[in-house]
Amino acid sequence: MKTIKTYSILAVIALATVMVGCSKDDDTPEPVTIGGGTTPPAHEEELITSVILSFVDTAGVQPAVEYAYRDIDGVGGNAPIQQDVLTLAANTYYTATVQLLNEAESPAEDITLEVLQEDDEHLFCYAPSNTNVTIDRTDSDGTYEVGISTFWSTGAAASGNTTVTLKHQPGVKDGTCTPGDTDVEIIFVTEIQ
Amino acid sequence: MLNSKLLFVLVMFLNTFNCFTQTAVCDFTLSGKVIDEHDKKPLMFATVYIKELERGSVSDNKGNYHIDKLCKGTYTLVISHLGCDPITETITLTKNLKHHFYPEHHAEELQEFAIQEKAVEEEVSVAKKELSVKDLNQARGESLGESLKSITGVTTLNTGGSISKPVIHGLHSDRVLILNNGIRQEGQQWGNEHAPEIDTYIADKLSVIKGADGIRYGANAIAGVVLVEPRALRDTTGINGTLNLAGASNGRLGVSSATLDGNIGKLIGLSWRLQGTLKRSGNVTTPNYYLKNSGLKEYNFSWALGFNKEKYGVETFYSKFNTDIGIFSAAHIGNLTDLQLAIDATEPLESADFTYEINRPLQHIEHELFKVKAYWLTGNIGKLNFVYARQYNLRQEFDKHLPRKDSLAALNLPELQFEITTHLGELSWRQNRTSSFNTQIGVAAINQANTFEGREFIPAFRKYGTGVFLIEKWRSKNFKLELEAGLRYDHVHQKVYKWDRINRHYDTYVYAYNNVSGSLGAIYKPNDKLTTRVNFGMAWRPPNVSELFSDGLHHGAATVEYGDTNLITERAYNTIAGVDYLNKNLLIQVEGFYNYINDFIYLKPTLPATLTIKGAFPTFNYTQVDAALTGLDFKLNYQFTKKLSWTGKTSFLNAYNLTDDEWLVGMPANRFENVLAYKLLKVKKLTDVYVEAGIQSVLNQNQVPDNSDYSNPPDGYNLLSAGMGFGIPIAQKQKLIVDFKIKNLLNTTYRDYLNRFRYYADEMGRNYTLKLKLTF
Repeated sequence: MKTIKTYSILAVIALATVMVGCSKDDDTPEPVTIGGGTTPPAHEEELITSVILSFVDTAGVQPAVEYAYRDIDGVGGNAPIQQDVLTLAANTYYTATVQLLNEAESPAEDITLEVLQEDDEHLFCYAPSNTNVTIDRTDSDGTYEVGISTFWSTGAAASGNTTVTLKHQPGVKDGTCTPGDTDVEIIFVTEIQ
Repeated sequence: MLNSKLLFVLVMFLNTFNCFTQTAVCDFTLSGKVIDEHDKKPLMFATVYIKELERGSVSDNKGNYHIDKLCKGTYTLVISHLGCDPITETITLTKNLKHHFYPEHHAEELQEFAIQEKAVEEEVSVAKKELSVKDLNQARGESLGESLKSITGVTTLNTGGSISKPVIHGLHSDRVLILNNGIRQEGQQWGNEHAPEIDTYIADKLSVIKGADGIRYGANAIAGVVLVEPRALRDTTGINGTLNLAGASNGRLGVSSATLDGNIGKLIGLSWRLQGTLKRSGNVTTPNYYLKNSGLKEYNFSWALGFNKEKYGVETFYSKFNTDIGIFSAAHIGNLTDLQLAIDATEPLESADFTYEINRPLQHIEHELFKVKAYWLTGNIGKLNFVYARQYNLRQEFDKHLPRKDSLAALNLPELQFEITTHLGELSWRQNRTSSFNTQIGVAAINQANTFEGREFIPAFRKYGTGVFLIEKWRSKNFKLELEAGLRYDHVHQKVYKWDRINRHYDTYVYAYNNVSGSLGAIYKPNDKLTTRVNFGMAWRPPNVSELFSDGLHHGAATVEYGDTNLITERAYNTIAGVDYLNKNLLIQVEGFYNYINDFIYLKPTLPATLTIKGAFPTFNYTQVDAALTGLDFKLNYQFTKKLSWTGKTSFLNAYNLTDDEWLVGMPANRFENVLAYKLLKVKKLTDVYVEAGIQSVLNQNQVPDNSDYSNPPDGYNLLSAGMGFGIPIAQKQKLIVDFKIKNLLNTTYRDYLNRFRYYADEMGRNYTLKLKLTF
């Protein structure tokens, strides 16, 4: 009798153990190879790897130019590729556009389109310092400017910096650069000659 | 599935032995009375405890106690009672025996620590620091880190008000081993903003240990071991339970937790427990503003099932911890410019009102523990223990904003997710304390797998570890001198798979570590009042994966952190000496330590700032230096009258970087605490009535290296608190315990150096808390 009782108790405990229903887990850190290629980690982070500024002289005198800043593997890893000096002709009117790319993907992904889709949450800010250039945003989300398209008018020759910032301002956009978080912030060395 | 198979084998194994044990002659009874030495009145609720068997009896209302099923032999008995010094007697049992004990009763004097700190525990060469029952009642509903704060030498590392990690003598994270119900907690301990995933309502005891006993649980307990221990399962027929309710005005926190314990009479030895906790808090407020998105949610449950016979027993335990923690929005910033704006602002740049709602940024964490424990008495000489545990930890971190791409945003996935699964096994044997010597020996093994999705902050890895340990204790015949030594050898093998984003393949790194840790200690008790202890310990810790492989932006902290794949083992040599003095109205505890850490790993600020597409970020590199941590803890309790007492606590710490000849960053400031308490044993129907007032003073941390931080450490502060509490007996076995406390009584505005959100916001303002505990 005693043995039967003992067994039945132990059976209850064993049963309870089976019923534990441990959570489903991913317990294989080893890389998985499918069809000769290695599976990348799931849900890789969305990156902005490149910021490209394109300039067109409204008078059509100067050649169209592009200046880029690239950090293909994101923050960390390899250092970003230093952009060239942003060089513009003096006393000239340019229309400019900014493009954001994720070049870690192949083909490269155009993040500008996503910014455009949520243009009421984003604002590009351009802050020149010690350089003779005036920059105006020429686009709008309906209420406020966005800054993907801009108009640059240069003065006399000078050299300084231009800081390009993209602010993410969901729900707090007020047309200024103060609220929100910084998604992009690059200082271009600027030369007006 | 594996678990159940394992258990089945174990169960069969134990049954085999059952056949033999039936024949042993272990049917003697020890019984008698526990009587007050002074007034010769019988003492009820006195504990008569057999050290060797780890069991005992509680005296009834006539002072009678009764312990049966004893084998022939010599036993050490410890008799303790509320307000008495425990007495120890050795008894040789050859027949049924009647024996009376006469402990000396001092009414309520020194009640708090006489019971709590001189409980029926083995003496150890580094004083075990345990939360008193009162402190534990007051801490109910708080996180593990916050609960441990009342222990001298323990501070916390906070991220806002809801994430709190224990810091022992200046060290935390990987250097503190947390033992949850006998199992070392395995989650993502390395992170500064990763709080221990433990429901403190599981615990009946919270304590911090060091020394030889710490060796038993692992090598990396450089700072110490935090023990979270539940009450033993019921060993007599019946059902009892506890209902805990807690509320706090700040954050409008509400917690309820219930525990139900039972023992089924007909199936002798089968006991069970069910436990669950629900917790909810909204935005907390500083004296001047609400902190946006600072709420939290927690829902936990656990069960245990035990089958204990005279000679063997099996116990299973399962617990699940779930939490959602809102991360204060204004602390989730873009880059260095944003940080400077936040530091310069007098109020956070994002304002809020009260809400229970938790939005991005947030953390979602789950922790699951399943454990099987079995023991088998190896005759009269010892006990064989076997433990197997599986832990699964899920950590999801959601950034402030959804991904820009709509298709991704719609999934609402965490930007960072870790899953870590750990299997642990341990087989150990412990000798009964029948002679001067006592031996413990064991082997342990661990298998761990970590995977991630989303941002690669730390890579995927697999880790194997094995360890063997031996602990030997010796006690002189007159109990005045005790020596202890512990030795442990560990082998750790780790394989790391790091994703190369450009070349789109994995790089594999293999690490192997073989090391010895040890502890040597002595306890000398020249008389009843004085205990002196000294311990020398040696511990080591392999660099963890975050220290080796961090490479990129630490979101929320606005820093770029670089690991170093060439880091080597960190080694600590810690010398601790302490003196306890206890007489009728005075308790003094002093503990000093010198912890020399060879190749101490820490995040060192490096110039220049890293330029990224998001702007400039301060750069930090994991670096190794030789460090020395020197400190002193002091506790004094003085009983002015039988009712009025004063408790003073002091903690000093000096943490020095010997390699670069400068202070170490991120160390807790020196602090003092004073509490004046007025206690009454009985007021009409109420029991254990107390009223108290306290002041905590934390000094400015001026021992920091130059230019190591974005802003200077915050000023020191003084916080006043007041509390009261009492117990109400409702029926014979039912009792309600009430604790009321006001924290930050004067609504002081302050910031703490060890809060990672010190740049962004003030600490919590005044907080009224009410804790109710009903036992039935």
